[in-house]
Amino acid sequence: MSKELKFLVVDDFSTMRRIIKNLLNDLGYPNVTEADDGKTALPVLQQGGIDFLITDWNMPGMAGLDLLKAVRADEKLKKMPVLMLTAEAKREQIIEAAQAGVNGYVIKPFTAETLKEKLDKILGAGK
Amino acid sequence: MSSPVAKPVSNLSVFKLEYRAYVEALADALIREDDQTFFEAVDHIVHLREPEMFGEVRKLTGDLQTALERFSVESRLADIAENDIPDARQRLLHVINLTDVAAHKTLDLVERSGPLAESTAREAAMLLDEWQRYRVLVGSDLEHEDLMKRVDAFLPSAQRESETIRRNLADVLMAQGYQDLTGQIIRGVMKLVEELESALAELRKLSGDVVEHAQMGDREEHGPVIPGVTKSSVAEGQQDVDALLSGHGL
Repeated sequence: MSKELKFLVVDDFSTMRRIIKNLLNDLGYPNVTEADDGKTALPVLQQGGIDFLITDWNMPGMAGLDLLKAVRADEKLKKMPVLMLTAEAKREQIIEAAQAGVNGYVIKPFTAETLKEKLDKILGAGK
Repeated sequence: MSSPVAKPVSNLSVFKLEYRAYVEALADALIREDDQTFFEAVDHIVHLREPEMFGEVRKLTGDLQTALERFSVESRLADIAENDIPDARQRLLHVINLTDVAAHKTLDLVERSGPLAESTAREAAMLLDEWQRYRVLVGSDLEHEDLMKRVDAFLPSAQRESETIRRNLADVLMAQGYQDLTGQIIRGVMKLVEELESALAELRKLSGDVVEHAQMGDREEHGPVIPGVTKSSVAEGQQDVDALLSGHGL
């Protein structure tokens, strides 16, 4: 079942989206959709079918934190697991994301092992 | 014997003298509740202050005018506002685009090479398994012993090395994350440069277009060609360079 999870990867840099998509494929998750900021991600999420959201923070248009808040405020999406994958490393930002309801927070540059560990933790906790 | 010198009247004394009569009238009117006289006295005091205030405003205006004129005359500063800063933004954007293309090309190659290394490792493992069973079946084959020993050694190393290549490719993939990180930093600098550009543009508008920019010498341009920035005629590829050189007898 878990390998059929559908991911949405949101990052304004297409290289980073591609890297994350490759890592997810390697971890056995072949269903990955992409969006380049919160504004384009939200309609994709609202359409349904996405099981897991991985988002950057700093993006033009709609930032990752606002996307997270929008997800948590949406009745249908509020339980969606959200992993923040960002270069924003200030303590107050991490706390802000936690208060907004993020499930995991990975700082760039990151390793494949860290991503796997956080994914497993979030998915394990949801069971 | 020195002649008696009249004690100079200080500015403050003059100031006090000028105001004294009006302040007394003001106080008197206040006691008598004579509104008309009270407000006349207030008006007089205000009029006394006006020349000083206007003098200050004139001085400030003069200073500002001088600063703005100086900005106009500083042709290098005007040049920076008009040319260098927009060029700098384009250069930075070009860096983002170049690294983006390079990172995607690397990712293309990683995505194409990874499965090859993976299938080589898998095939080597399967073959090794079959080979080992075949070795047991055949027993010793003195005629082909050297060849068999080489295959014995090759199959596990082919599997091991292909797996190493696969892992290295995964590291190459992760290393492309630099494009995102450097890109974010460059975008931040671009935003700063943009703010500086509009601030200088405002200053230029205020100072007026006094300087003829034609008098400024061309800046030297070195380094890679930047689309939209490099103004000199440039060679389009190595063939163009070779053709140009052969035209000069080289």
